[in-house]
Amino acid sequence: MRISIERWKTWVWVAPAVALLVVFVYYPIVENIRLSFFSWSAFSASPAFVGFDNYVTAANDPVFWHSLWNNGLYAIISLIFQVGLALVLAALLEEVVHQRLRGLLRTIYFIPATISITVAGILFSFIYNPQIGLLNRALSAVGLGSFAQDWLGNPGTAIYGVIAMSQWQSIGYTAVLFVVAMQRIPRELYEAAKVDGAGHVRTFFSITVPLLREMTTLVVILTLSGAFLVFNEVMVMTAGGPSNSSQVLNTWLYHNAFLADDMGYAAAIGTVIFVITFSISAAQILITRRRRVQW
Amino acid sequence: MKRTTRKSALFTAAAAAVLLAACSTPGTSGSAQSAGSQDLASPTAKSGTLSVITKFADPKYAPFFVDMARAYESANPGVKVDLQQVGDQPYKDKIRVLSASKSLPDVYFSWAGDFANKFIRGGLATDLTSVVGPTTEWGKTFSPAALKAFEYKGKNYGVPIDLDAKYLVYNKAAFEKAGLSGPPTSLEALLADCGKLKAAGYTPIAFGNKFGWPAIHYLTQLNTFNVPAATLAQDYDPATGAFTDPGYVKALEQFQSIVKECSNPSANGLSHEAAQASFLNGQAAMHYLELLEFPAMTSEGGATKEVADNWDFFRLPAPTDAAGDKNALTGAPDGFMVNQGSENAALAVDFLKFMTKMENAQKMMGQIGYPSAVQGSATEENSVPQQRAALEDMATASAYAIWLDTVTNADVANAFLAGAEGIANGSQTPQQVMQAVQKAAEKVKKQS
Repeated sequence: MRISIERWKTWVWVAPAVALLVVFVYYPIVENIRLSFFSWSAFSASPAFVGFDNYVTAANDPVFWHSLWNNGLYAIISLIFQVGLALVLAALLEEVVHQRLRGLLRTIYFIPATISITVAGILFSFIYNPQIGLLNRALSAVGLGSFAQDWLGNPGTAIYGVIAMSQWQSIGYTAVLFVVAMQRIPRELYEAAKVDGAGHVRTFFSITVPLLREMTTLVVILTLSGAFLVFNEVMVMTAGGPSNSSQVLNTWLYHNAFLADDMGYAAAIGTVIFVITFSISAAQILITRRRRVQW
Repeated sequence: MKRTTRKSALFTAAAAAVLLAACSTPGTSGSAQSAGSQDLASPTAKSGTLSVITKFADPKYAPFFVDMARAYESANPGVKVDLQQVGDQPYKDKIRVLSASKSLPDVYFSWAGDFANKFIRGGLATDLTSVVGPTTEWGKTFSPAALKAFEYKGKNYGVPIDLDAKYLVYNKAAFEKAGLSGPPTSLEALLADCGKLKAAGYTPIAFGNKFGWPAIHYLTQLNTFNVPAATLAQDYDPATGAFTDPGYVKALEQFQSIVKECSNPSANGLSHEAAQASFLNGQAAMHYLELLEFPAMTSEGGATKEVADNWDFFRLPAPTDAAGDKNALTGAPDGFMVNQGSENAALAVDFLKFMTKMENAQKMMGQIGYPSAVQGSATEENSVPQQRAALEDMATASAYAIWLDTVTNADVANAFLAGAEGIANGSQTPQQVMQAVQKAAEKVKKQS
């Protein structure tokens, strides 16, 4: 009996948070899955049940697959830069850089992350401008004028232009996260390694990387789900164009919901995004659950 | 917490979510009010809150509508006008969100064409024929073509607020330098002139196609030139669209030539405004823009003195062997519609009458440079000579070719838009584009 009362007390404290989660997170997810089985738009009198039609449409839609491909590209490139390179950058900041410069450099690298994504997107649109943009001008100045092109207007390079902007903005953020985690590593380990004759690189791979496992897991989850949830950057810089070459799942969803008046199809795309991001997070947590770092 | 408690918590939350979802109705059906006639006669006692939404958030244009709201409120003390202004691009999704959640304001902005027809078919627009039809006193103040643009199946649903058309503006000094005596009268002549302008050191036509709609405006005109009017009307109707006429491919080929011969490179990466800047500073000889943008051609608008004093306009010329209507002009009025579910329909109509009476129509032209749909509202005080000349020219057009991205179903429009971008950067052929358009039209036919 007493245990039951204790349980009820716990529930009372947790109930408000659970209620908020149910109303603002779980309910919309379930409702979205339900709506993806209907065909409807902002103007239709009543939704029509169509079963899996929207999913079949998605499977046959080349733009859907191209968006998925773009999201995948985003994920891979983000992992390389925002995890790999950021890790190296953090190690450099902590190990190699002089104490005085450390704070200043950390701030400089972190500043892009504080700029609003929309502002950064517009900024880079100017940099990529084919006539007066900095990038083409800089390339011509160093004699690489043949590489100058219409970065955002060319279907082959548009998505890469957007991805590049995203890396610029987020590398500093993840590097600082790694720096914070690195500062927890006991100095004795490094000193012991030095005594054993290990160089910087060996120390990095044998001590730093393994002990940063938890933070790496977190950053990988953030980066991967961020890559599949990206919207602002693409919308501001290219709106998914030209010719749908830089569409990502979220912008294609937006396009179908609000410009093509096909909300059912958009809901189906939303469900796909949910399944992908949920699987990534679940897999990550399951894999790393047993590998907690103990000091 | 123990495992079992965690599991039961998860289960409870999931169950609650599913229950909530099951209880909700699948998107409540159309307007609560019956489609029967509403009393639209001017109310004697004016009171209440009127909600209005426009797409004129741009600080260049917003002040006029704010002024209208305040003026109406001070003229009618019992009334409050709740004015919401959204930007041009975000308006397209904002209005759909409002429609889907059945919270459409009393008065809302609409482009002409299928964009407006969607609201009409969805039962979201009030039938205004009794107050603004062509035989009514109010209706007669508008240009007949403007009224017709908002007609659907013989009934009038929208009140036109401004007139717009697409013209090529040109730098007279540049034309002189290149040895051209005047604007070209055929498409072939235009392409030849572009070569001469290039030789004289100018960019023939400044073209920025970011977001894709500037190319769509070219296609609107070229489609109208190359496809017979009856076929065009049938194809633009979502229920009967086929797009198999060879004129469409010809139109795309002509657009391809314009891009190749006349336009600056990398058009897809440049915004329309950035391209306009190169015309305003004299680098480009021509620019394809809307009548609403004519105020930019002044020193206050950003033009250099040489350009501001020395420019004129002409219509995009037709090819000599055009199969369609050579005298149709790309353009359309913008307008406002009244929500059918609105309890303030009569008040909404009264507000729209207020906004379109002659002194306010003239004020609009003078304050923000928008030509009003009210006939005779452009005077010497509130407009530059080119604007008045353009309005006269518009009156001689045989028909308005409404913008391709609003005249037809969104899927077809998007296929054209993506295709035009592909033509602009050379990654697609006209045949490929038409195949995509035909596929989209098939899908739309099946759905309607």
